[in-house]
Amino acid sequence: MSVGPFLPAPTLCARLVEGSLQTLFPLLLGLVLVWGPQAPAAENLGTESRMPYRHVIPLRDHNGDMITPPAAFDEQGKPQEPRGSPYSTARTCGKCHDYPSISQGWHFNAANEGVPAGRPGEPWILTDPATRTQLPLSYRGWEGTFRPPDVGMSDYDFLVAFARHYPGGGVGEPPKERMGTNDVRMRRMQITGALEIDCLICHNRHGDYDHEARYKAVLSENFKWAPTIASELGVYGASRTAKAFADAWRPPRPAATNLPPIKYERHRFDSGNHVTFDVTSKAASESCYYCHTSESHLGDSRWHADGDVHIRAGMSCVDCHRNGIDHQIVRGYEGETKDRPIRAEAITLRAKLLLRDDPALTETDALRFAESRLMEDLGKVETLSCAGCHYGSTDGQSAGRLGAPLPHHAGLPPIHFEILTCTACHSGPVPGNATEIVHTSLAHKLGLPAPIRGENTAPAIVQSVFLRDGNGKIAPHKMVWPSYWGVLSNTVVTPLLPDVVAKAAGDKLPTQANADVERDPYNTRPLTDAQIRDVLGALAPGRTNGEPVFLAAGKLYRVSGGELQSEEHAAARPYAWALGHDVRPASQSVGGVKGCADCHADDSPIYFGTVAARGPVDPKSGVTKDHLELRGDDRTVVSTFAFTFKFRPMLKVITFGCAVLILGVLLGRGLVFLSGTRSTPGRGIKQEPLS
Amino acid sequence: MTTTTSLPESRAIPALGAWARLGYLLMLLGFLPVAATGIGTFLLGQVPMSHWILMAHVGASPAFALGLTLVALTWPSREARYGSISWFFFWLMLLAGLVVILSGVLPMTPLLGTEGQHLLYLTHRYSGIAFAVLVLLHLFSLRPRR
Repeated sequence: MSVGPFLPAPTLCARLVEGSLQTLFPLLLGLVLVWGPQAPAAENLGTESRMPYRHVIPLRDHNGDMITPPAAFDEQGKPQEPRGSPYSTARTCGKCHDYPSISQGWHFNAANEGVPAGRPGEPWILTDPATRTQLPLSYRGWEGTFRPPDVGMSDYDFLVAFARHYPGGGVGEPPKERMGTNDVRMRRMQITGALEIDCLICHNRHGDYDHEARYKAVLSENFKWAPTIASELGVYGASRTAKAFADAWRPPRPAATNLPPIKYERHRFDSGNHVTFDVTSKAASESCYYCHTSESHLGDSRWHADGDVHIRAGMSCVDCHRNGIDHQIVRGYEGETKDRPIRAEAITLRAKLLLRDDPALTETDALRFAESRLMEDLGKVETLSCAGCHYGSTDGQSAGRLGAPLPHHAGLPPIHFEILTCTACHSGPVPGNATEIVHTSLAHKLGLPAPIRGENTAPAIVQSVFLRDGNGKIAPHKMVWPSYWGVLSNTVVTPLLPDVVAKAAGDKLPTQANADVERDPYNTRPLTDAQIRDVLGALAPGRTNGEPVFLAAGKLYRVSGGELQSEEHAAARPYAWALGHDVRPASQSVGGVKGCADCHADDSPIYFGTVAARGPVDPKSGVTKDHLELRGDDRTVVSTFAFTFKFRPMLKVITFGCAVLILGVLLGRGLVFLSGTRSTPGRGIKQEPLS
Repeated sequence: MTTTTSLPESRAIPALGAWARLGYLLMLLGFLPVAATGIGTFLLGQVPMSHWILMAHVGASPAFALGLTLVALTWPSREARYGSISWFFFWLMLLAGLVVILSGVLPMTPLLGTEGQHLLYLTHRYSGIAFAVLVLLHLFSLRPRR
């Protein structure tokens, strides 16, 4: 993948495309983009010390040129503003850190070709309260999600919608030729610039990174400016946004060149025009929490939420969720190693180091050894899962890593480790009879100021739902039911994007009264059957590619004979992803409270707890199932097994009593034997068959 | 009713009574489903047991334990009449049965952690197999001889 920064080269282009050459602009621009400067792969520099390196470094713009604010006063003593181009992380950080390798990391590679999808994770959820849309999206192709291009959403629109929590890179830095195509959305990036990986989102040590400023920059489509603004290195030097420039651009006219500069904070530059970045390779947990907060204690969590035991113990997220320069962060699930292929570039890089250390090595041997070493490294991934730290890897090593205590699990038969993940008993909220609503950073814009979010704030996500994971073990999951308007054709439903629905439905979609906005800022009132029917009716005229339908809360709604009908449908099935945190202390684990009865009782939440589908319809009309049904377990087996536990105390009494009696007989006979007074079989005794 | 062999009074060994026979029968009846489910799943490579198999295994175990206890209480005074081989197998069988019972019930208590539980699991498995072999040998030793 090409990872070089967007290069608008506006002045050069502007000169070339005057007059009749204007029609050749896209071609010429494309050539400039393709042959323009790109972020070179840096040889990674490091101090090899546990002491963090003090980064006093020059800022570089997207051409790789050092940003040097003019002196405060010119030669005539006239004040000068410290204006300059926005800084480029690819050029600035990439000077010493291999940006192309970094861009292969898990946080950036979702849309890359050939990347294993790995265990299903949290999707991006396209949420539109007006049309009641909540559509799980992912470039990874996880079953139950939609790839943005498949629903008509360009990468550009994806960025505008989600870059508030998307760290950049990947689809934010499309191949340059895509920016010069006829895709009217993508070519806007010729103006807005690429959304580079913003290293400081994670690596800023003290949290003085302004996520809200970045969010506003992204909404204004000021992609190229976002890292500079959010790092508080400067402010916009003009008020017109990239969005305004892009909206006004009418190709094939040349793109605007008078884009807003950055007015840098002069005090951030030292006398050599270097800037100090207080960064750390070990990202602070608070940085992770910007994107990875889950909050189920809505309203006031301070009385209820204790956080993760590991964080409480002084650890940080990246103690376990580690990564190297390739930023292939450890996700921490069992079997993860199979989803982490060793890249050829990594082998080459390691081989290069081996050759440097031992010039006698042949290149072939170096490559072979490099792959072998990387395989060993990969084995370490296993030691960073729950079991890996607490029990050790399969070779029995690494137990107690990071000071992890060895679990005792007194009275827990080993079969439980074969059918349950660690998280089933230890993670998320204590299972209850019903699931609970949970808000996440990615779905609910946590970390950004907004009116207090409530139970019905879309999208509706619930936890913990106990499903089987890819290894067949029961694990707690978060779950969301897709809700969208779409077109049904041959049992396949193709979603319609909110703006398409809004345009077609017109006034059939209920509008929120102004008086209600303050009370219900998230427009959470469910749709009535009549409203659904009317909107479906509005979507039908002229549609030849299928039948308009609405999906919500596990059901598909359609109009048949003028009446609204609903039914369970595969397309309306929920999407679920495993949850790993917060980890509860052992005393609050499942089994740690009521023992066996936590699970083996006829009211056990992980079997018989209710999972009610949530969506923008009457709660009573959604699909309701229990956990065992969602897992496909046999209800009779589960109920009978739970029933047998009523007799478990009696079983223990009987068997222990029997054991004591038998032991008594054996001891008695042993004493007789030792005293030499036993009756000797076979001497003068007639042997009898058993009859 | 108890009968004795025609031996001197001091060497008289009572014949098998109803309780002894009932005990052995109960032990066998209990052990058959336990062995079929336990050893069966092991031989078929379907371990660990689950669902109905596990319930059948656990459900039949009290009958086995009670039967074995009856055997332990009623047979020793009579066992000597079947010869030293039978005597040897009998006591080994009893010992293996005790191990089977204890390794089956101890995991239900909070006495042992994961390693102990796993050890008990393996002990249960192999003592169960040993018990099955010993029962067969014991029954074989009780066969009518010419």
